Amino acid sequence: MIKVSNLSKRIGEVQALDDLSFEAKDGQITGLLGPNGAGKTTCLRTIFGLLQPDKGIAEIDGIDVSKYPIEAKQQLGLFPDPFGLYERLTPREYVSYFAELNGLSRVEAKAATAKVLSQLHMDDIADRRCKGFSQGQRMKTALAQAIVHQPTNIILDEPTRGLDVMSTRVLRDLLRGLKENGHCVLFSSHVMQEVAALCDQVIVMADGKVIAIGSPDDLCRQTGKDSLEDAFIQLIGTDEGIAA
Amino acid sequence: MMNKIMTMVRKELIDAARDKRSVMAGLSYAIGTPLLMCGMFMLLIGQMSSPKDLNIKIEHANNAPDLIKYLSSQGITHGDSRSTDDQGEPLDVKDIRLVISEDYAAQMAKGLSAEVILIADNSNEKLQNSIRRLERNLQTYSAEMGSLRLIARGIDPRVVQPIKVKIEDQATPDSKGGIILGIATMTMIYAVFISGMNLAIDTSAGERERNSLALLLSHPVSTRSIVLAKVFAVTVFAMLGLLLTLIISKISYAYVPWHELGFTVNISTDFILLMLLIGLPIAMMAASLQLFVSFMAKSFKEAQSYLTLVLIVPMMLSMAASYNIAPDTLQWLPVSGQQQALIAFIKGREIPMLQLVLSSVVTLVITLALTFAMERSLKSEKIIFGL
Amino acid sequence: MFHGKRDRSETRKAINSVKGKPLMTLIGTLLISSMILSLPASASADSENSENNTRVPASQNEQTCYLDGLSEQVSCGFITVPENPAKPDGKQIEIHYAVLAAIKNSNYAEAFLAIAGGPGQSAIDNAAGFSRIFSKIRQSRDILLIDQRGTGRSNILNCLGDGFEDPLAINEADFDVATETQACLDELDADVTQYGSLNALDDFEAVRKHLGYKKLHVYGISYGTRMAQLYLRHYPEVLSTVTIDGVVPMQQSVLAIGNSISRAFDLLIKDCNTNKLCGAQFPNLKADLASVDAKLAIAPMVSQVPDPLTGESTQLTMTRAKFMGAIRMALYMPNVRALIPHAINEAAKDNFQPILGMYALTIDSTGIAMGMHVSVICGEDWQRLTAAERDAANQTYFGREMVTTFEQSCAIWNMPAVDADFSAPISSDIPILVLSGELDPATPPSWGELAMEKLTNAKHFIAPYATHGVAHQSCANELIAELVDSGNVQELDGECLNKDVRRNFYLNASTVEAIPAQEHKQEPVQKPKQALAQGASHD
Repeated sequence: MIKVSNLSKRIGEVQALDDLSFEAKDGQITGLLGPNGAGKTTCLRTIFGLLQPDKGIAEIDGIDVSKYPIEAKQQLGLFPDPFGLYERLTPREYVSYFAELNGLSRVEAKAATAKVLSQLHMDDIADRRCKGFSQGQRMKTALAQAIVHQPTNIILDEPTRGLDVMSTRVLRDLLRGLKENGHCVLFSSHVMQEVAALCDQVIVMADGKVIAIGSPDDLCRQTGKDSLEDAFIQLIGTDEGIAA
Repeated sequence: MMNKIMTMVRKELIDAARDKRSVMAGLSYAIGTPLLMCGMFMLLIGQMSSPKDLNIKIEHANNAPDLIKYLSSQGITHGDSRSTDDQGEPLDVKDIRLVISEDYAAQMAKGLSAEVILIADNSNEKLQNSIRRLERNLQTYSAEMGSLRLIARGIDPRVVQPIKVKIEDQATPDSKGGIILGIATMTMIYAVFISGMNLAIDTSAGERERNSLALLLSHPVSTRSIVLAKVFAVTVFAMLGLLLTLIISKISYAYVPWHELGFTVNISTDFILLMLLIGLPIAMMAASLQLFVSFMAKSFKEAQSYLTLVLIVPMMLSMAASYNIAPDTLQWLPVSGQQQALIAFIKGREIPMLQLVLSSVVTLVITLALTFAMERSLKSEKIIFGL
Repeated sequence: MFHGKRDRSETRKAINSVKGKPLMTLIGTLLISSMILSLPASASADSENSENNTRVPASQNEQTCYLDGLSEQVSCGFITVPENPAKPDGKQIEIHYAVLAAIKNSNYAEAFLAIAGGPGQSAIDNAAGFSRIFSKIRQSRDILLIDQRGTGRSNILNCLGDGFEDPLAINEADFDVATETQACLDELDADVTQYGSLNALDDFEAVRKHLGYKKLHVYGISYGTRMAQLYLRHYPEVLSTVTIDGVVPMQQSVLAIGNSISRAFDLLIKDCNTNKLCGAQFPNLKADLASVDAKLAIAPMVSQVPDPLTGESTQLTMTRAKFMGAIRMALYMPNVRALIPHAINEAAKDNFQPILGMYALTIDSTGIAMGMHVSVICGEDWQRLTAAERDAANQTYFGREMVTTFEQSCAIWNMPAVDADFSAPISSDIPILVLSGELDPATPPSWGELAMEKLTNAKHFIAPYATHGVAHQSCANELIAELVDSGNVQELDGECLNKDVRRNFYLNASTVEAIPAQEHKQEPVQKPKQALAQGASHD
């Protein structure tokens, strides 16, 4: 469960987050939808503890991230944008490394890595160095890193950006699987179809504020529109920065 | 926490070992510098020593056949540009002229001084030894004749040597090579700075450029662990560079004909161990300094140019120590203090323990301060995202 | 090299001792190692810069020290041995040694032992010379110098008699050898019978063991060749190579030296006669020498001269002993040898200044410990002299003088004779280099040949232009370095010894170059070839 309450954050002259509050529940996929510059990434970075909020609290499983960053992040998986791969390491080394950083012993980390690599059908590239990987292979490696330690909460920042169709399908299947296993999945996106197809709950953001929260159906109903896209445009008042 | 640090160090070292740039930077210095030094010294020694057979231009040789014969017995003979040696190769004729005066024999016969003129450029370093050798041989010849002239007159030649200077050179067997080893020590200490430098940049500014820094910081690892791991990894790399430098030096210095300078330069196992021990705090300081500067820089390139500037400081300290132009306060400072202790060890003197301990402590304090500052800075958004 | 070998008080002592025994100094010393005699004012040899790595001191009896002529620190030490090996608990004496450590400490297990001559010279006092000559060897091997018992720092047996105060005024014929010898013996606090070569050899071996050298390369000069040969006989297992230079073969009593001296005189006269300049300047050299010798044999020439050192007017009694002795000693040194024809020529004109100068050189420069000298000669050479050899010795002036001197000295010294097999030739298959100087006035090449008799792995080189002690007068030191390096004597090539290094003779008191005619100036430019030919013509 991920919960933010009254988050405010100024970056330079910009009020990136403005009294932001929402909750992403376990067993649900929550989508953070908003145009470019809405504050999605800032919000997620605050949840990782990379940014300190000026005001408000970010909690993971009820633990305040800024007060107990290590404990809070113990149950967190991260799929960042950009991926931040170590090009000179193989996926096996890379994934295993982060598994260890998340508290697994070397032996446990190795076993968990082997498991997640085969789960993502990565055995053929598991021992090649990341340098020269395709975008799909990179995505899989980053994803493996995010879930290798089986965290309750998984945060994905723009996960489908730049992915081909096949990779996008793999990602979707995986997210659904996670949801079925009771994980809390939170991802940011500016791709409408993505959100419509996957999310149990959508948080629409603009200018650092929550505009609306609800299931895609709720949002359509709320705005009286047929599609989420139309609802979204209605909500933020413009279609700038949104991809269909 | 220790487990995570070890995990990170292991990863950093694997990563660095696969980074051709980091490895090449460390290797090329560690292998190249001792070899370069050796080559330089060999060249220098070769230029400085006078050849076994010294060929010079002797004019009017027929005025003083006995002198010419004496010089020849000392390996100094006349040669001109057309002369060739046994193999038909052109002779190496030094640009030194010895002109025997026309009245040489007449002056000699009268018991007077006969004149010979030595014409050469004394500022030419390649010639200096040969010139001195010629002068010395002329002196010896003259002194011997002088003695015999006195004997022929019934006088004990000792009367013309009123003062006998007896030199007791307090240089110990090792101290003469110490000058050379002082310079060598400088290059070795510098190995600590050079070997880890690329890794330091790669793992800080480089990591940020590749976006893995944010990912790393997002994981449940304290910034202190991250900083310690990076400092430790860079230190290990620097120490490996130092060890390699020492080993290469030990091997390659053995091939330099030091004995032609009248001493020996030997990198003993004791010296290697001491160097490694003293080098460790310096390596830690170098690592933290380089990481700190690299984190402060906005990009890989910028870090490189900053570091090049920053590294002049230890270089100056080291140079001041090895050329002994240092004011006394330098012996308490990092790098120069330790280096002076190393030089003292090489020269077989007592190691100035107080200075060594103090400069090492200062080194460690600087290391800790830099590490702490880095830990703080990694909490700053500016540093994390290179804003 | 010879100046300042001792500190001042020691020098005075040495001078006194010599003043006490001028006769023994002049005639009694048989085998001067010429290393010790070089010209005082000649610019000191290249400063020695050699350095080395610290050796671990072998004991608390070892410390760094400075030796004369060497500016560097070297290590000096001593071991204590019983004076009489048969009485291990009896009187103990110190055997001092010095180690000139290798510059590259690459070969600790082997050292190069250089043994001095005399008998009676100190090896340590000659450290500078040895270091210079063997600088190549010292690159990789320690040079070990040991003051043989009775010499130098090792319980030196010097004779400090009150004798005559003025060596210039003395007439040696008035000298009472027996009384002086007895006075010397009475003064020595030592059992002089224990100072022969065999005891000394065991000392050397004890020093080697003490320092932990597994193998030795031995170099002996002059009397030192006897020690080297004894090493070959008694401890061959510790020897890698041996070089003997100016050889006294075991088969030979050194008292037969008279013939060698005469031979060297003859060679000198021949040399001068065949040299265009010298022959022209001194055409009557042989006759002049004979006439002066004959004149002085009848009666010494007494005159007032300035003392060579102090300049004070003093009486010079020019005796045959001084005249012949001065020339004999000059024959050891190639550079002083060049002055002999002029000196004889002047003497024939009753000017003894050059002879005085040459004689002054010999007064206190030999550094021979006379007591030890007598112990060795009386124990090892005097008693084995056969009647025939004695008759032969009596045929020459020097032989006769020596036989007479030692007849008296040895009676007082009372040395037990060495066993008969002492004189047996050495047989060995160790690589041995034998060096002789053609012009040697002490140990002629025929002696080197004699030493070769049963050496199966040896080579004998005769340096045509060297006197006594070939290593320091020629390229022989490089041959020795090669031998030490390769351990192979057969591949040595002695060609470099034949390089003509002879210098001109002095034609007057000032020059060695052709004296230009007084009337018209020499015109070398017009006759360069002729001038060159002249210079080389004394080949």
